[in-house]
Amino acid sequence: MIKYLGLEIRRSLRDRRYLLLVAGWPVAAYLLFSTVFGSAADRTEGLAPTVEIMVAMASFGAMGGVLLASGPRLAMDRQLGWLRQLRLTPLSPARILTARLIAAMALSLPAIVLTFIAAVLVKDVTLPLWEWPLLVLVIAAGCLPFAAMGILVGTIADGDGAQGLTMVLYLVLAALGGLWMPVQILPSALQTVAKTLPSYHLAQLGWHIARGAVPAVGDAAVLLAWFAGAALIAMAASRRLTLRTA
Amino acid sequence: MTYHPSAAGSAVSTIPASPDGADPAVRVNGVTRRFGAVLAVDNVSLSVEHGETIALLGPNGAGKTTTISMLLGLSRPDSGSIEIFGSAPGSAAAHASVGAMLQDGGMMPGVLIGELLTMVRSLYQAPLALDEVLEIAQLRGLERRRVDRLSGGQSQRLRLAMALVGDPRLLILDEPTAAMDVETRRGFWHAMGGFTERGRTILFSTHYLEEADVAADRVVMMARGRVVADGTPSAIKNSVGLRVIRFSITHPGIAGLDALPGAVSATAHGNRVELRCSNSDTALRALIAARPDAHDIEVAGIALEDAFITITDGLAA
Repeated sequence: MIKYLGLEIRRSLRDRRYLLLVAGWPVAAYLLFSTVFGSAADRTEGLAPTVEIMVAMASFGAMGGVLLASGPRLAMDRQLGWLRQLRLTPLSPARILTARLIAAMALSLPAIVLTFIAAVLVKDVTLPLWEWPLLVLVIAAGCLPFAAMGILVGTIADGDGAQGLTMVLYLVLAALGGLWMPVQILPSALQTVAKTLPSYHLAQLGWHIARGAVPAVGDAAVLLAWFAGAALIAMAASRRLTLRTA
Repeated sequence: MTYHPSAAGSAVSTIPASPDGADPAVRVNGVTRRFGAVLAVDNVSLSVEHGETIALLGPNGAGKTTTISMLLGLSRPDSGSIEIFGSAPGSAAAHASVGAMLQDGGMMPGVLIGELLTMVRSLYQAPLALDEVLEIAQLRGLERRRVDRLSGGQSQRLRLAMALVGDPRLLILDEPTAAMDVETRRGFWHAMGGFTERGRTILFSTHYLEEADVAADRVVMMARGRVVADGTPSAIKNSVGLRVIRFSITHPGIAGLDALPGAVSATAHGNRVELRCSNSDTALRALIAARPDAHDIEVAGIALEDAFITITDGLAA
């Protein structure tokens, strides 16, 4: 399974267009937002805008990397018949999906690391040294529900449908989850919805650390619940993975 | 020392039917599979012994691919049972001992042939050497080619390599030569011959009787979801009727002609009659004796495909 996992990651890293999208976009968005809103005093998380936006954009990029690496790619592999072929090897379906989940999770890292580097080099962000690795780790681990959601999308939707559905999911989760703008500016009904989203809790986890606080257990619990929900539905639908498409 | 009469008696009968014990490579028992209203596989039973090369022969829609899908555990029978070396299809034990080429098996995009085969090789306990796989599948020198940038023939060879890499005891090939020209097909079966020499079992599907004749020890003919014939290639060829006697008759009526020795079936178009034969020499002598009114007689060979399709249609109707 380790070799399959390695090959999954390697093929993603070979896909330049994908890398540019998932790592380039959040870095560019970070530089833009932190310049435009850099002096605004109305940030809501009690952090310097350059730090708050850094965590938000790292989360945004990580989420995108994971969603795009899981959903559309799984749908494509399914349609190509690669999953049928792989299913004939001794690698069990549970291991196949676990490997894909971990591979997708690993693809949260480029966006996180590049956004942090941009923040340090361009915006002179400084944090206590121990916070950096913890932030990387927590944001990456916090992407677990997105990996499961991606696998669910890739299981139930085909090719272009999976691509489209993933993008909609990505943008809605980012916008409503407070990654682009504070959820406080949303109407109160939407705020209620926003605070149930995994993207909101992912950002909260990061902001806690950036404030020097321990990550909140409540946020982690919500993320785990989303993961469990998506994973259960994906498993229920997983018979579709090896169906004939031709 | 004590005498055990039962032990002595059973010594003869417990000689294993095969080197691995009593379980055949494949045992299919009364398997049925429906897709909606369509009966794709209809009460099929079939057993494949170790070391056999068996062809599943039939026209499109005969149920070959559905049967193979079930043998591989990719779909389940509605009723009936299947065992692969005594294990359930799709079980870990079955996956470890079976290699397969699917018609619609895709390859992992974005990776190199060498990377892919190395990865898949690592999934098996006792795989073939990578070099040997590349050699048999004629992929040597293409290790650094991306799998999504291959020609049709190269893709098919990669599918073969994927099937072989685990050094399976049973190879299941769904129309392995469908996209191949005659030359490539010959090369393919030559490579497969090397594989069976090591005591391996092969089950392949085809709609070419000629291919089944050349490559298989045994042919199982399927039509409309049922097994319509099971035997050696020559027995199948005889039942199919490979020669035809055409003649004109003065007195209408062809009743009884298909019962002549050596004849298989008779059809009339006006006063012209076509008599399919497994042995046209015997049938011709009998015909002349039985029908003095037969004239303008000609004897010809018929295309294998035509003969085959007519017969399977006739049997399944």
